[in-house]
Amino acid sequence: MTISKRQVRKDQTQKQLIAVAFDEFSREGFMVTRTSDIAKAAGVSHGTIFAHFATREDLLIAVIEEFGHRVAGRMHELANQGGSVREVLEAHLQGLTEVEAFYRRLVSESSLLPSGAQSALVAIQSAISIHLSQAAEQEMAAGKIRKIPLHLLFNTWIGLIHYYLSNAPLFAPGESVLKRYGPELLEYFVSLITV
Amino acid sequence: MKTCIACGMPMEKKEEFAMGDTSKDYCVFCARPDGSMQSYEEKLEGMTRFIVKTQGFDEKAAQNAAREMMAKLPAWQGR
Repeated sequence: MTISKRQVRKDQTQKQLIAVAFDEFSREGFMVTRTSDIAKAAGVSHGTIFAHFATREDLLIAVIEEFGHRVAGRMHELANQGGSVREVLEAHLQGLTEVEAFYRRLVSESSLLPSGAQSALVAIQSAISIHLSQAAEQEMAAGKIRKIPLHLLFNTWIGLIHYYLSNAPLFAPGESVLKRYGPELLEYFVSLITV
Repeated sequence: MKTCIACGMPMEKKEEFAMGDTSKDYCVFCARPDGSMQSYEEKLEGMTRFIVKTQGFDEKAAQNAAREMMAKLPAWQGR
């Protein structure tokens, strides 16, 4: 089957709109960014957006899903380089630091987002928790870390990271929270769970 | 990189594929002991249990999240 030039162009425009929307959402947040802002930044007419995405919500979900695939793929790649809990958490921090602005918006605004967007966030967390759980079960069995229910282990880590991210202006105004505090949070968390 | 059609997990290494067979489109976690792919019901139950165990969600909320995630995957289209 050959793909027509028209289809190729359509796919390219769609990818470009997702990339531009990603940058706009990262900078301004999900609630404030208007589709007209995205169209302007992408250099297309406002109508072009709706030729590709039926509603603003569809665009929003497409952007978050694309982001989710990226994070899950990167996490898989990084976590496979090592196997310890520390290495998985380091990989998590590294993966998130690369996309911190967007992730921070997602965390801060998640309860206001439509359910499709929220389930994309759950999918991201599931991709992380599978790696952490595998590593943690091994280290618990080997007596290296304390026997803690897996959901509490995961939620304690996520809670810590998300608290810093959602209060970024207090912890690291104008700079990366994860670059500044990531190593300290990692050491602290590992010290809490180590036997 | 291939992605599991049933759960979305990226598959790189041989042992991540069902039966260690890289021609398969589904992963080791979505295979039954005999190597065939799990049914929708089996996968939904497995994913729900996994979310409850590793993220501590309410069971109903976990099942809804699992259902929404599965709805995006190629193996479960048209359901």
